[in-house]
Amino acid sequence: MTTPTAPLLELSTLWIQVTGTWCNLTCTHCLNSSGPHNPWLKSLDTEMVIHSIKEGADLGIKEIYYTGGEPFLHKDMLLLIAHALEVAPTTVLTNGTLITDEVADHLAALAQNSLYSLEIRVSIDDVDPKKNDRIRGKGVFVKAVRALELLYSRGLLPIVTATEILTDELPEGSEMYQRFRDFLLSLGITKPRVKIMPVLPTGRMEGQGGPLITPDMLHGFDFSLLQCSETRVVAEGGVYACPILAGLPGARLSTQTLKEALKPCNLYHTACVICYETGMTCKN
Amino acid sequence: MSREGKAYRRIAVFGGIYNNYLALEATLEDTRRRGVEAVFCLGDMGAFGPHPDRVFPLLECGNVLAIQGNYDESLAIGLDNCQCGYTDPRDNTFARLSYEYTFQRTAPENKAWLSRLPTHRRVILGEHRLLMCHGSPRRINEFLWESTSPHCLLEKLCRDFAADVLLCTHTGIKWHRALDGDRHTINVGTIGRPENDGQVNVWYTLLTAGDSLEVEFVPVHYDYETLAREMEQENLPVEFIETIQTGWWTTCLEILPAKERARGKF
Repeated sequence: MTTPTAPLLELSTLWIQVTGTWCNLTCTHCLNSSGPHNPWLKSLDTEMVIHSIKEGADLGIKEIYYTGGEPFLHKDMLLLIAHALEVAPTTVLTNGTLITDEVADHLAALAQNSLYSLEIRVSIDDVDPKKNDRIRGKGVFVKAVRALELLYSRGLLPIVTATEILTDELPEGSEMYQRFRDFLLSLGITKPRVKIMPVLPTGRMEGQGGPLITPDMLHGFDFSLLQCSETRVVAEGGVYACPILAGLPGARLSTQTLKEALKPCNLYHTACVICYETGMTCKN
Repeated sequence: MSREGKAYRRIAVFGGIYNNYLALEATLEDTRRRGVEAVFCLGDMGAFGPHPDRVFPLLECGNVLAIQGNYDESLAIGLDNCQCGYTDPRDNTFARLSYEYTFQRTAPENKAWLSRLPTHRRVILGEHRLLMCHGSPRRINEFLWESTSPHCLLEKLCRDFAADVLLCTHTGIKWHRALDGDRHTINVGTIGRPENDGQVNVWYTLLTAGDSLEVEFVPVHYDYETLAREMEQENLPVEFIETIQTGWWTTCLEILPAKERARGKF
């Protein structure tokens, strides 16, 4: 059977997998098996990231996302955020554990001085510390909550990102959503922002997925519902179709430039079905 | 092309009426006083407020040149949602309430009128080629917030769509950015609800051709207390009424980017 493809309708979102799969945590559901030892996808050089941002700007992108791994492990992360914010609104996906007073001060200053919004997304999987730490590691909950408080007290409005790993609620997850909102309000965060993500059958959850997308499923389908129709990801080894599959050979569209990756991508992975069925996006 | 190729010198543009016929009346009155040659509406006649059908005769009497917003498209083709483009469950809950109310109370002939509206308009103002759209030239429900619309994107849109000035709405908060080469992007704001700054007035945009393009955001004061009373009588959500009475958004604010969210109360 021919692998179905998705067209690139427009390049709007540039993801940069800045630390590859290098992370200080080893979450049980990590979509790209990130961890502290021998990451299978290496960090990007500072110059490479700056070059990618420039290339994205030349192509008229709308926004930039930093992810990993844990982006704040990158030695030049604050500098790279500054570069991104000169060009476009920027989001950083973090586990929050490396956000100190000093880092939060820097981030607040960067946000203040930019024309564009800086969004910091902090991952927490449950409002119960024990449940959260079973997934994300011992002591992680306290550190992540501390990060939220440090950011919020400086006028940044962090977005808490939670996966549905610990819930069997329906995808809309409204009870889970409300639980997080209530928790943030209880911390004094009066502008609570919550994003719920499904668990993806990749990385440490590889093999949990079901069928693949077939060509029949795409007749009359609105491709704008797939994030690969407007996204490209720069990571070690090239440019990839979407942030979930970054680093996987099947998702690689170019080994060189972003421009070369402006072409249709294969919908070859079981994770593609999750996007197809839920219309989910990794964006804010 | 405007008026068989003749360029306008002074026009008024607004978006997002959101059933707020009282603000529409006040806006049209204000534009008449200022001697504009034409009035344009960038779509979303419905949502949020009471009595959707009261908007349409005013648009007709005022010779308003309108385009379709996402709400109008949904009503016109009978969709079960407003296509506002929200991703958050709380935003979507309120959007659903508002859309159901408006859908049920918009007369078939008004839905038919909405279906005949264009999705874009091109107009000449002085030396500038204006392109009017609802969300963005490439998508009816794309949000162009000030803090999430980078220069590089706006320049690309001007280039790709052969325009000197892009005019949009959809977000509910006005802004203007001058680009290189005397090009501009202007989010004209909305007249249907205040813009989350603690003020109860709404805004429209006045554009005048001069040596350079003159952009003026005009505050409109209207009888918001009557509107709030009517919303109450129509059993619309108290959250919607609170926004009209206080000027602070209470709903559909999860979509706000960090900078715009930080400026509001909630």
